[in-house]
Amino acid sequence: MDVQMKRGLLDVCVLAAIKDEASYGYRIIKDMKPYVDISESTLYPILRRLEAARFLTVQSAEHNGRLRKYYHITPLGLARIEAFREEWDELLSVYRFVTREDGKHE
Amino acid sequence: MNKQEFLAALSRKLNGLPEDDLQRSLDYYREMLADRTEEGLSEEEAVAALGSVEQIAAQILEANPGSRTKRRLSAWEIVLLILGAPLWLPLLIAAASIVLSAYIVIWSGVLVLYSLAVSLAATAFAGIVCALPLFCQGEVAVGLLYLGLGLIGAGLTAPAFWGCNCIAKGLVRLTGWVFRKLLRRESK
Repeated sequence: MDVQMKRGLLDVCVLAAIKDEASYGYRIIKDMKPYVDISESTLYPILRRLEAARFLTVQSAEHNGRLRKYYHITPLGLARIEAFREEWDELLSVYRFVTREDGKHE
Repeated sequence: MNKQEFLAALSRKLNGLPEDDLQRSLDYYREMLADRTEEGLSEEEAVAALGSVEQIAAQILEANPGSRTKRRLSAWEIVLLILGAPLWLPLLIAAASIVLSAYIVIWSGVLVLYSLAVSLAATAFAGIVCALPLFCQGEVAVGLLYLGLGLIGAGLTAPAFWGCNCIAKGLVRLTGWVFRKLLRRESK
């Protein structure tokens, strides 16, 4: 798959992982595992990028005597997911058209 | 590799990164390792699962534009530097000498001011001392003139020295400030 496309897809995947409730790094990876395999080293730049673009915010919270960083999605992040959905609805229409069973084929 | 070794190695490879980016990266991986060990993995296993330090460092540095590891010169650059020395070294020395001379000139100015203060003191001394024999000789008017000038000199001496000290101290502080500014730019 195209590198840029994959990067964009992973970005929105991470956003989806924190869409319903704030999550932390390791759990994001685990939640994504059934669908997409992603390593810690891949996730880190994605989180930094999403934070810079204000799609998520970071808050530290205490867990078992240490500080853990929790990532919260922002309204901007939710809008990004929505935009993704629309893009892909359009893509699916195109796909259906391209692969339709052509009855009039010679 | 255990957790400490991993973080130390990563920190070394990320040398040159701005401080808070470095800390953030270390915090992230420290947290990842802590989460994994919490799940039951040993430190060694958790570190192994992260992959190579080189790769991780490369990814972080790649995502960080404009951060270059403190210029560790390549062999080629060192050779060029040495070969070019007959050119840039004399220029550097010349430039440094000019700056130094200018600095010395400024201080000579301060020295002139101090000599003015000293001459005021000398006037005071001479005026008062010479006034006495004049009075004895009966030359009261001239004696008073000398005494007057001497007293004026005496009065102005203290403020003059105080002024020179202020200027000198100010110059020293200015020098220090300039040096600090230069050093800070070097380390950036």
